[in-house]
Amino acid sequence: MVKKTVLFFMLTLSLMSQDIYERKCVPCHKELPTSLDQMFMSYLSLYSGEKNVKAVLKYYLQYPSKSMTVMSDLFIDSYGIKNESNLSKKELNEAIDIYWEKFKVFDKLK
Amino acid sequence: MLVLKNKATNLVLKSEKKSLLRFLTLYVTMITIVIALSSLFYYETQEKLMLAEQRAILTKYAYIQTKRLKVLHHYFDERRTYPRDPRFTSAIYDIDLRKIFSLLEEVNIRFDEEIYIGTNHIHFVKSLDEYFLGAKYLILEIKNDGIWREEIWKSIIGYGLLAFLIFIVFGLYLAKLFLKPMRDSIILLDRFIKDTTHELNTPLSAILANIEMMDTDVMVEKNRKKLTRINIAAKTVSTLYKDLTYLTLEQEKENEDEDIALKPMIENRVEYFDILAKSKNITFILSLEHATIFMDRRKLSRIIDNIISNAIKYNKRGGKIEITLNENLLKIKDSGIGISEEKIPFMFDRYMRFNQSEGGFGIGLSIVKKIIDEYNMQIEVESKEGEGTTVVLRW
Ligand code: HEC
Repeated sequence: MVKKTVLFFMLTLSLMSQDIYERKCVPCHKELPTSLDQMFMSYLSLYSGEKNVKAVLKYYLQYPSKSMTVMSDLFIDSYGIKNESNLSKKELNEAIDIYWEKFKVFDKLK
Repeated sequence: MLVLKNKATNLVLKSEKKSLLRFLTLYVTMITIVIALSSLFYYETQEKLMLAEQRAILTKYAYIQTKRLKVLHHYFDERRTYPRDPRFTSAIYDIDLRKIFSLLEEVNIRFDEEIYIGTNHIHFVKSLDEYFLGAKYLILEIKNDGIWREEIWKSIIGYGLLAFLIFIVFGLYLAKLFLKPMRDSIILLDRFIKDTTHELNTPLSAILANIEMMDTDVMVEKNRKKLTRINIAAKTVSTLYKDLTYLTLEQEKENEDEDIALKPMIENRVEYFDILAKSKNITFILSLEHATIFMDRRKLSRIIDNIISNAIKYNKRGGKIEITLNENLLKIKDSGIGISEEKIPFMFDRYMRFNQSEGGFGIGLSIVKKIIDEYNMQIEVESKEGEGTTVVLRW
């Protein structure tokens, strides 16, 4: 009994220690052939700056549409447009911030 | 005749010199401005030309660098080394003008210009169509070797100097051309006045010399008085004549400055005017020390003559004239009618006469003032109406 409680407790703890991005975005995207990394680079090449990228991404996650996607037609044909995110605005902002920090180019080039 | 002509032409009149100088200053300023402006224009054209050449090269480099960025963009998860090129250094900035990566030596970038010259480098700013790695701007930098600038300066200085010289020669020719009619008329007038005054001088000198030679001892009292009157009249005319010739001719001449011993000169002038003074029963009281002055003899003589003759002219019958001379100071004090204080500042104006009862043109003191100003001397006039006037000269 004690062992079980400890195990449960550890599990929740490990889940809690993961941030919102790891919990909400990564699992679903693991299934897709195009990585979140590649999607980020596509965004960068289209929108350049941090403000632009974040704003457009936030809008897309709330209102995904075929006309706005950065993915190829081939990709959309097989996987379809994603569903509207059910995250709150605050959570969305947080997830996007983490996403940006994780893949941004700044300070990475040598 | 030929001799006279040469002399007249050699004589550079002061008024002529002045207008020549004015014309040349104006002319030189003008051509300097013209040359400076065309140099500026030339410089800017050459700079543009140089930048156009550089732009062609840099556009090619930018194309190459963009391709490399594109590759890096697609393999960013594996590679992190920014592409470098020995021919140029570069940097990438995002749409918010935030630096993504830079190898530039000069960090100030003008994003609103395509190509420009910084402190030591030329910058080429290229806007990308596809923002690889998020880069909206690709900036290429190459060293500005400054050789082209040196070349431009060399030709500006060379051609500028040449143009300047040609313009100057042309200007001098022009000036001569303009001045010729003026010079001709001045020479004509000059010669005319000289001839006429010369005609006046001879009889006047003859009268004065002959009066001097007459033996007054053997004359009857009545005749002696008459002769004195003739002498006074002739000397008055002579002073006037000298002032006139000075105004019309001599003041234009170059000064012939020399050291002049003042004491003998004053004694001489006092002796000359003595007969005038005696006619009004005026006595001279001299207190002269040795003193010298460096100036033109004619001009000094004009000063002394005019002050003494005024002192006589405006003196009372039986008055006194005290002349004091020491190093750097000459004081001539009369016991005459004097003039009021508020009139003193105007007494040196031309044609100004305060006393209508005395003759003269009123040009004497204006001549004095002119000469004094020319030699940077100081004149002080103190006067009390009814008591007399004191004129002090300092140098
Ligand atoms: C339920 C599954 C799911 C979740 C959860 C999810 N995504 Fe996606 N996402 C997808 C699918 C499917 C696509 C591809 C279709 C598309 O682009 O609409 C996609 C596309 C994207 C794209 C490319 C957008 C474009 O313009 O095509 C980005 C960026 C992205 N997701 C980010 C995120 C982030 C950040 C989160 C977390 C807040 C997240 N996703 C959560 C399924 C998901």
